[in-house]
Amino acid sequence: MGSAASGSLPRYILIRILLVVPMMFVLLSIVFLLLRVAPGDPVTAAVGDKLSPEALESRRAALGLDRPMLVQYLEYLGNVAQLDFGRTISDNRPVLEIIKNQGGATLTLTLGAFLFALLIALPLGRLAGRHRDTALDAVIRVFGVVSYAAPIFWVGILLVLFVITYVPDWPTFGIASAETEFYVPDRTGIILLDAVLANDSASVLDVLQHHVLPCFTLGLLLSGVIIRLVRVNVIQSLKDDYVEAARARGIPERRVVRKHAFRNALVPVITVIGLQFALTLSGAILTERTFNWPGLGNELVDYVTARDYVAVQGLVTFFAVAVVIVSVVVDVLNALVDPRVRY
Amino acid sequence: MTRSRRALSLAGAAVLALSLAACGEGERDSGGGGEGGSASGSWTLGTTETVTAMDPAGSYDIGSWNMQYSLFEQLMAIPAGESEPVGDAAESCEYDDPQTITCTLREGLTFSNGNELTSSDVEFSLERNLRIADPNGSAVLLGAIKDPDADALAEGAIETPDDQTVVFNLNQPDLTFLKILSSATASIVDEETFPADSLLEDEQVVGSGPFMLSDYSASKQAVLEANPEYSGEREPASQTVFVRFFNDAAPLRNAIASSQLDVAWRTLSPTDLASIEEEGDVDVLRGEGSEFRYWVWQLGTPVGGDKAVRQAVAQIIDRDAIAENAYDGTVEPSYSIVPPGFGGQKDSFAEAYGESPDVEAARKTLQDAGVKTPVKLTLGYTPTHYGPNTVDEATELAGQLEDSGLFQVSTEDAEWEEYQTLYKQNAYDLFILGWYPDFLDADNYLSPFLRDGGFYQNNYSSQEVNTLLDQELGETDEATREEQIAELQDIVAEDVPLIPSWNGQNVAVAVPEMEGVEGSLDPTYIFRLWEISKG
Amino acid sequence: MRRTLTTIWHTRGLARYLLLAGVLLTAAFVVLAVFAPWIAPYDFAQNSTEAGERLPKLAPPSGTHWLGTNDQFYDIWSRVVWGARTALQVVLLSVLLSALVGVPLGLASGFTGGWLDRVLVFLMDALYSFPSLLLAIVFSFLLRSAVGGGVLAAALALTAVYIPQYFRVVRNTTVSAREATYVEAARALGARPFTIMRKYLFGNVVQSVPVIGTLNAADALGTLAALGFLGLGIQPTEAAEWGYDLSRALDDTSAGVWWPALFPGLAIILLITALTLVGEGLNETLNPALRRRRLQQVSFAPLSREGGAR
Repeated sequence: MGSAASGSLPRYILIRILLVVPMMFVLLSIVFLLLRVAPGDPVTAAVGDKLSPEALESRRAALGLDRPMLVQYLEYLGNVAQLDFGRTISDNRPVLEIIKNQGGATLTLTLGAFLFALLIALPLGRLAGRHRDTALDAVIRVFGVVSYAAPIFWVGILLVLFVITYVPDWPTFGIASAETEFYVPDRTGIILLDAVLANDSASVLDVLQHHVLPCFTLGLLLSGVIIRLVRVNVIQSLKDDYVEAARARGIPERRVVRKHAFRNALVPVITVIGLQFALTLSGAILTERTFNWPGLGNELVDYVTARDYVAVQGLVTFFAVAVVIVSVVVDVLNALVDPRVRY
Repeated sequence: MTRSRRALSLAGAAVLALSLAACGEGERDSGGGGEGGSASGSWTLGTTETVTAMDPAGSYDIGSWNMQYSLFEQLMAIPAGESEPVGDAAESCEYDDPQTITCTLREGLTFSNGNELTSSDVEFSLERNLRIADPNGSAVLLGAIKDPDADALAEGAIETPDDQTVVFNLNQPDLTFLKILSSATASIVDEETFPADSLLEDEQVVGSGPFMLSDYSASKQAVLEANPEYSGEREPASQTVFVRFFNDAAPLRNAIASSQLDVAWRTLSPTDLASIEEEGDVDVLRGEGSEFRYWVWQLGTPVGGDKAVRQAVAQIIDRDAIAENAYDGTVEPSYSIVPPGFGGQKDSFAEAYGESPDVEAARKTLQDAGVKTPVKLTLGYTPTHYGPNTVDEATELAGQLEDSGLFQVSTEDAEWEEYQTLYKQNAYDLFILGWYPDFLDADNYLSPFLRDGGFYQNNYSSQEVNTLLDQELGETDEATREEQIAELQDIVAEDVPLIPSWNGQNVAVAVPEMEGVEGSLDPTYIFRLWEISKG
Repeated sequence: MRRTLTTIWHTRGLARYLLLAGVLLTAAFVVLAVFAPWIAPYDFAQNSTEAGERLPKLAPPSGTHWLGTNDQFYDIWSRVVWGARTALQVVLLSVLLSALVGVPLGLASGFTGGWLDRVLVFLMDALYSFPSLLLAIVFSFLLRSAVGGGVLAAALALTAVYIPQYFRVVRNTTVSAREATYVEAARALGARPFTIMRKYLFGNVVQSVPVIGTLNAADALGTLAALGFLGLGIQPTEAAEWGYDLSRALDDTSAGVWWPALFPGLAIILLITALTLVGEGLNETLNPALRRRRLQQVSFAPLSREGGAR
């Protein structure tokens, strides 16, 4: 992206936003290409063992899977432009509806995970940076690496077992209890928000309880990366002139760190969150699988197994679009905050 | 780790603050809304069986069908533990001759929306199913009333002389059709609500069954409430049933083991079941099943085309070891193409080859036929479609054949859709497949498997078998039909187009307070939600 | 190369120990992988002894089976050892392949510039923006039918995922190096583009590759395990793979049978940790901006976005 000419802020933002269009086009083409050259089809996957070859062929034809690739490709692009992601083949659901119904769960999972990640990583990263090259630093760094290295489903299951044994009443799957899902009216697609809107404290509590384990698990994974970055930034800030100046004025080291270095180290965290978004989505797929979380990642894996092109295409497109949008927002935010970022 | 604990307590504080802020109790009166039904109480079912469509014309899978059995009536229904259908929406259905069925509907039937259910709804439902011919649907089961040249009802196949009477004129003698009429594919839908040529949205389905769908969120949960209009035999024992859908067996296992659910039905792994049983907090209930796992010979390959080789493998396979080592003893060894419990069933493979493996006899069979040993054999399996234990079965069988010294085995695998193409293209000599019956009749294990290569196209074809199949389908005398079915099984054991491996059980896990679960665990795989309640 | 090693050797303090720990751990796994046939008492898919006697099922760790056996009658120690071989095979293969594709592509793209460069940058940025697991899932599904469910398929799937990272780093370094005086000089002397790329740019650019390589290797290992967990990875009959073993073992864990899940899990964590420590160590020592040597104060540049810190 170094090709964008340096210039004024509005110009930078405009170019950054305009670049989204070709970016999307490339993404959509990749998605289509990858999914359609693959052999196998959803009809065979679903009922192939009960149908004759002729019957299978006619069903494929009915779905338009036998038309020329180019026709299917153009149609796909046209539909996506109108926000029409089609209907899934294996269970006939509009993909947009899946995204509306289940995107909220993925959203609150990732946001919750970031919250936990920051709660874990900020203090630890700060400590490590302040006590650079001590045993404490080593321990925290290794913790960061290990929490990133541990397979998320492994950590998840261990946590579930721990909770089942020691806190038997704590929910270990799903985003809400059956009653809550039933009684809380669906308005926003985000059940936490719905429960708050319904002014139903029992449901809010229930939903929050359900969030703790999955968000913590995913947050642990993210914290590894954030610890690393916070540490480096604190070290860096501690070298800055004004921090030196503060030191020279005799302000205690602890206060220097808290007041000056740490606050400054927080700025790049916005960038981190943007950069880690893709990683978070990867982690979310595994977390949702482990906790039967009704989110998009869980759906995606199911549809991949069912070979449902339309569904996978739609969901992958959505994921990609989300990543692109988040990166644009982060870039623009950064440009607003820090003029040096503009290239 | 102290840090993370602090993080947790922080979150706890946030929870507390939020709950304090959101004062005012939510209005939830559980068990409410049931004016008509006498039943009360609710319970929660967890399942990994997904729902493809609530609309009967759009599904052909256990998950959807079980929703439909609760939401709709069929003309006939199969009571728990039995194999012959009894009246459901119909008072009775009788064969006038092997090609004609007359049904009389019960008086005063209504859908849960108050609309009347008449014979024209029955005709509409079946005609619509055939016309839509949905890719995921089960219209293929209605061949006996289908127009051979179009996706439509055959001319004159269904007559409705009056509001209470439906007459079926089948295009060939078919004694299994009554059982098809008791399956979910023949669910009766409201002609004023359902579109004639497209599927109805899941949340909007309306039926006349014991329950109605009061809330549905795909792949999350369905809420069924007792239908106050229902007047039939299947009176619901609970007011509300929550059905929670799981994408993966692991969370389902943990949810039922910690009693966060009341019942888990399908599908937990053998290891899970064994461990749950060991812990003993919840009950593992087992009933007879009709799931069938078998190894198919591809007769199109030189190895599979050699009858002596096929027989030798049938001689060597150790089914007890497969059941024990690959499935922790949760399945029953199978010695016939037809599972136990069907009229005319006999263990033909045990008769022909003995119950335990006999390597010497196999060696002799191969020698007599002049086959050079070791025979190179390719085993095919698919790793996910039938669960993770399929690999173990393939490894086990491969080991048994290798150990005999007569075979040199290589195992190959492919994902499910690819697998289906590969086995038809002779990629494997011997490959594993599974089967759930569409309806409970011995023929459902014979015609689809044996007629001209079967649905799996293994190039096995026998005129003798085809003739017997035709006879058995139209035979009204039960004893004669059972003889014919027995003869077919003997031919299979002799020709060995496939080797039966095991029959599965129908297993559920339930908390101790549940009543009526075990009774429903029968080979139909109909999970009768209406019979179940939490005591 | 010697200069690099000297630099590493002269690093002080914590960074050195962490790097050393990473190197030693990685070396231990390499030894397991290379000498697997001699170290592992059983073959990776061997469920009975030489005498034909079946191994016990889910036997706890003991003298005969150091780490116990799993539900497939496999000796876990052997599976862990063979799993090291699979992991390193897949990771090496995918890192080599993606570097092999990504580096020349980045070099050519950055050097040539213009239309080709723009298209490639776009394509790679697009691929890069996909969540890596998502991409790996799609590719592994695609490749399974083409090349089977073995090591090669997994390696190729991961290759596709990591090419963009090499491309981006190499291309950006090339773009800045292109304007350097010595390159200008070479061009003025009439050197052909290919010669310039090979002789002057490559050496410059290739330094960043080991760092990305090790960090990618760590990431690839995690992705491989995730594929195994989702049932889209390597089949147990093809090779021993920790992720698959782990996913099979999670069921047993609920029943209090901890050993089949613990050891493959530990192996994954240890190897990823080791590789990350090596990668970060290299990054810190080779990247002068982050290096701290005795008596030398340096200022810290902002962490580069392309630093492979994903």
